[in-house]
Amino acid sequence: MASYDYVEKAIKVSRREFLQVVGVAGAVLWTGAYVATDLVQDRTKYIKLRAKGIYQDDVKAKVRQSHNNVALNKMYQTFAQKPLSPLSEELFHTRYVDRTKLG
Amino acid sequence: MSGFQNQEISQVIDINRKKCKGCDSCKAFCPANAIDGKYGTVHRIDPQKCVFCGQCLVNCPFGAPTDIIDPVDQIIEKLKNKQLTVVAAIAPAVRVAIGEEFGMEPGSLVTEKLYGAMKEAGFKVFDINFAADQTIMEEGSELLAKIRHYALGEPAEHPLGPLPQFTSCCPAWVRYVELNYPQIIPNLSSAKSPMMMAGSLAKTYGAKEIWNVKPENMYVVGVMPCTAKKFECSRPEFDSAGTYWEKQGYTGKYPDVDSNLTTRDLARLFKKLDINFNMVYDYQDSDNPLAQYSGAGTIFANTGGVMEAALRTAYFIITGTELDNLNFTPVRGLQGIKEADVTMTDKVTGKTVTLKVAVAHGIKENAVPLIEQVIAGTSPYHFIEVMNCPGGCVNGGGQPINAMGTSWVDKWKAILPWN
Repeated sequence: MASYDYVEKAIKVSRREFLQVVGVAGAVLWTGAYVATDLVQDRTKYIKLRAKGIYQDDVKAKVRQSHNNVALNKMYQTFAQKPLSPLSEELFHTRYVDRTKLG
Repeated sequence: MSGFQNQEISQVIDINRKKCKGCDSCKAFCPANAIDGKYGTVHRIDPQKCVFCGQCLVNCPFGAPTDIIDPVDQIIEKLKNKQLTVVAAIAPAVRVAIGEEFGMEPGSLVTEKLYGAMKEAGFKVFDINFAADQTIMEEGSELLAKIRHYALGEPAEHPLGPLPQFTSCCPAWVRYVELNYPQIIPNLSSAKSPMMMAGSLAKTYGAKEIWNVKPENMYVVGVMPCTAKKFECSRPEFDSAGTYWEKQGYTGKYPDVDSNLTTRDLARLFKKLDINFNMVYDYQDSDNPLAQYSGAGTIFANTGGVMEAALRTAYFIITGTELDNLNFTPVRGLQGIKEADVTMTDKVTGKTVTLKVAVAHGIKENAVPLIEQVIAGTSPYHFIEVMNCPGGCVNGGGQPINAMGTSWVDKWKAILPWN
């Protein structure tokens, strides 16, 4: 039986080295997590930014209610009379189909 | 293929077999369960169930679903034809997204630039925001007639549909109801969508009063953030302008809206015509009555926008005074279902009425519970706004694509491996 004369080499890590390694590993993980959450948050960014643009357009509009749109009221006066008038019903309203019954 | 009327197009979106990796993310975004295919295999869309909303298209990480209707070249031909008046009906959501295709920040508001580029390309402008204001007048009057009859006990002048009233602006939502819940069709507002109102108004009032042309020499192009609009404009019932002129003794058959461009298509059209969007001159189009709009018309692009616009007008019509604060925040934001109550005193009778409203975006998660309530007869609401796409039209299936997808509102479930 062979006899081993092997002594495991002691790992000498000083407190300073340990902190360095942990620090680097921590930084790598932290950056990864940060980038990942950032990318996920980005996914709704488009909706929010576009919605913000639309509300900007609302705030800067001179008139902010549909019934105060002068050009629209003029259209009703000279053409369609009023909402739900027979002509409005004919041009601006529609019907729907039950598609489960269509062949 | 069943479920289609004559001359309706039966497919707008198809999955490119070579690009599909079978990752199932499209299924997570599809409101209609229209996508077949096991995990890891090539997926396909069932056109009979598809509502053409394009959410799979804007959210696929591999760009596999494609919009197969490309009208760009055809519209360039029409623009070259000097006999024709080509009218672009521009939706509200386009003005905050088209800039992205030309390197601007998302959400850049570029209305004047867009008008300028449209003019350079040879389009006449009909701003859908005008038609959105008109939609509020039509749809709002319809709602108020129901409120006056059912809640205030006044006699009805016309036959009225039941409450709650659902909005009908979103073509994907309308098709979803027609396919899956025909029993609530009477609850849909009979008002056309803003685009279709714009089409019939352009070819009647617009032809006669604004542009002075014959309606048969007009070509109306919807410019939309939406792929479902391509289907909507092919629906055979939308020929009211032709019917109107027939009654006046003219002949000619034409649809109200002839063709449709998505925001992405419009960007391609500008590029093909060598129009540098960043360099075009701003153009106000202030002489054109059909390009005048209110703030209420423009917010149609956001979830809750139709509701907010309707409340501003409904409040005025019932009470006779304007709302003090026009920013009605309970219906804003990205929460799945938003609710609000507005108490108003009727100026005529002095009676008080509390209008209860709800807003849903994303059909599968948020609209279906509201529909079930209506069918069960327990719905407490008077008016319900539904938009198919999460966030509303600003995040429509025709908007510029971001490689990361844009609809991840409450979609954590979709990415969890055990789901």
